[in-house]
Amino acid sequence: MNLPNLTSADFLPLLPAIILVVGACILLLSEVFLSAHSSRGYQAVLSTATSVIAGAVSLTLLTEPARAVFLGFGAMDPFSSFLTFTVCVSLALASLTAAGFLRKRGAERGEFYALMLFAGAGMSLLGLSNELITLFVNVEVLSIATYALTSYLRRGTRPSEAGFKYFILGAFSSAVLLYGSALLYGATGTTLLSDMSGPLRAAMANNNGALVYAGAVLVAAGFSFKVAAVPFHMWTPDVYEGAPTPVTALMSAGVKAAAFVALVRVFISVGSGIDAQLPFAIFSTLALLTMVAGNLLAIPQRNVKRMLAYSSIAHAGYLLLGVAALFVSAPGQEFKLLGPTALIGASPEDVARVDALRGILYYLLAYTFTAVGAFGVVSLLERREDEEKGTAWDLERFSGLAQRRPGWAFAMAAFMLSLAGIPPTIGFIGKLILFRAAVDAGLVGLTIIAVLSSAAGAYYYLRVVVYMYMRPVPEGAHTLERSWMTELALVVSTVAVVLLGILPGPLTEWIAQAGTLFTR
Amino acid sequence: MNIELVLFGAFALLTLLSAGLVIFAKSAISSAMSLVATFFFLAGIYVLLWAHTVAVLQVLVYAGAIMVLFLFVIMLLNLGEETSAGPRLTLSRILGGAAAAGLLVVLVMVIWRIPAPTTTFTGAQAVASGFGTLPAIGQVIYTQWLLPFEAVSLLLLVAMVGAVVVAKSRI
Repeated sequence: MNLPNLTSADFLPLLPAIILVVGACILLLSEVFLSAHSSRGYQAVLSTATSVIAGAVSLTLLTEPARAVFLGFGAMDPFSSFLTFTVCVSLALASLTAAGFLRKRGAERGEFYALMLFAGAGMSLLGLSNELITLFVNVEVLSIATYALTSYLRRGTRPSEAGFKYFILGAFSSAVLLYGSALLYGATGTTLLSDMSGPLRAAMANNNGALVYAGAVLVAAGFSFKVAAVPFHMWTPDVYEGAPTPVTALMSAGVKAAAFVALVRVFISVGSGIDAQLPFAIFSTLALLTMVAGNLLAIPQRNVKRMLAYSSIAHAGYLLLGVAALFVSAPGQEFKLLGPTALIGASPEDVARVDALRGILYYLLAYTFTAVGAFGVVSLLERREDEEKGTAWDLERFSGLAQRRPGWAFAMAAFMLSLAGIPPTIGFIGKLILFRAAVDAGLVGLTIIAVLSSAAGAYYYLRVVVYMYMRPVPEGAHTLERSWMTELALVVSTVAVVLLGILPGPLTEWIAQAGTLFTR
Repeated sequence: MNIELVLFGAFALLTLLSAGLVIFAKSAISSAMSLVATFFFLAGIYVLLWAHTVAVLQVLVYAGAIMVLFLFVIMLLNLGEETSAGPRLTLSRILGGAAAAGLLVVLVMVIWRIPAPTTTFTGAQAVASGFGTLPAIGQVIYTQWLLPFEAVSLLLLVAMVGAVVVAKSRI
């Protein structure tokens, strides 16, 4: 019998996920010793600490040499380590936000944080999956954890509706993804992404191309549901609005980041075996629709949580622009996705592609800090009593916030400027890097549309700032409860958003390492 | 025409028929029973693919254990027959139906055009390699397929915790 030799080097990339799972299990088991009225303040601290440790470990993994692990089932590369870091940032900030949110509702339970950490472990594993079945299982890990989190608070109709809608559409999209993977397997006879390019070329030569195309399109459709790209975005506003706000924050940042990284990994492998026109056509169309529709639909929203949901769709559009830039083939030059080495980003000729990869990573991290922070402010302002009436997130809530809580107003203003892409914020640098990569790849038209639509987006972001700073405090406004944990999350995100907007140097250096992707 | 082809045709047709019944049956119990039948016929197809272990697990776990739970839940909920009239036709339903039908046509055309495989995996080869047997599955599942296997165990844990959280009466 031929036993593979799995060493500790194979298990190293799993370390952040293992830390997250251990933390989740401690949180679950600690509930056994607590009564319904015990103090549970430590849970958010434990969850945050676990995420911070896992994030620190993933940063040390950035310098590890890229290689295939588990016989090619996983890929250990800076790309996936950086995703794990982003996921851990969103987990830590969402845990801190959840502390204040759940305390206000008397709903602190270990299961909530445990499910968040499980979802994070699933995202981290999804980032390094280099095989279709592993990839699918990890998509399910993070999806099932977020379905349960969405319907965690079931006092009223909204959370149940959101949970059910998310579950049904999520299961449907998983089925589409799985069917597409099955067709790709049928065409190539392998589920290992690293082995796929040869059999794919053979299948195309063998008049089997239709099967490959159908599989690739279905896989792309499945991922489009997960990243909420137009026209697969219908579930997003309702689910984001109905879910508990910290969970919405985690969904908009972590889930999206993991899905994008997996999508890039799948299509770089699939695109290396087929004509790159197909992935380019798919992603540029999706990017165009998503950017324009996301921004236009957000403009009439007076409900800030819903507005942020549409804004997250728009930001998925900018990221899809970066993905499309990966698949541009220069005119008159044969399209080669894979250079002479197994590492994308190691050879000098694919500079444009590396820039796009870096742009995607930078943008994901920038969006994580900004969006989780913005949802943190939303969670501080909302009150449970108003949720059924649907006024908990109305713009009126933000009126005169600058006089009542200047700190919160400043943080929210920074997040809104960052989402709009106005300097000196991290969102501006993110857009700059991403759009420059798209222009360098030759996508001038699409980039112009992206800039124009983000200019349209400034209208609804700045409206929040106007309400906070230029409107009087409404009569009979309820008192605003403070929570030091949520405020700590706001401080961290604000500092990151502003500081990295002024001094992007340290982060761009990390990203410079992280823009390499292992493919064989 | 060999016997395998005839059996495959029969199983495939019966799977489709019973799967259709799952959707169109009026009472929930008949839906569930049709689902049991679907699982059995699917198990037959697995046998034809030389995946005996999967076929046995399919019958034992899905058609046996899981469907018993399904039936329990349906009986506990005490669902009556569905009384609502058929779905109304709206623009989005018509468009959605047209898109789904279009996708079906495309997929059928794609599968129709696949050239016949040049290599056939006959039974003798499968027997010689021990394909589909428990030892063969055990060998690969804990070695080659270790990463997805561990991911599946994480998935089951998450699903369990998630089910408990969602089923809790009040948080």
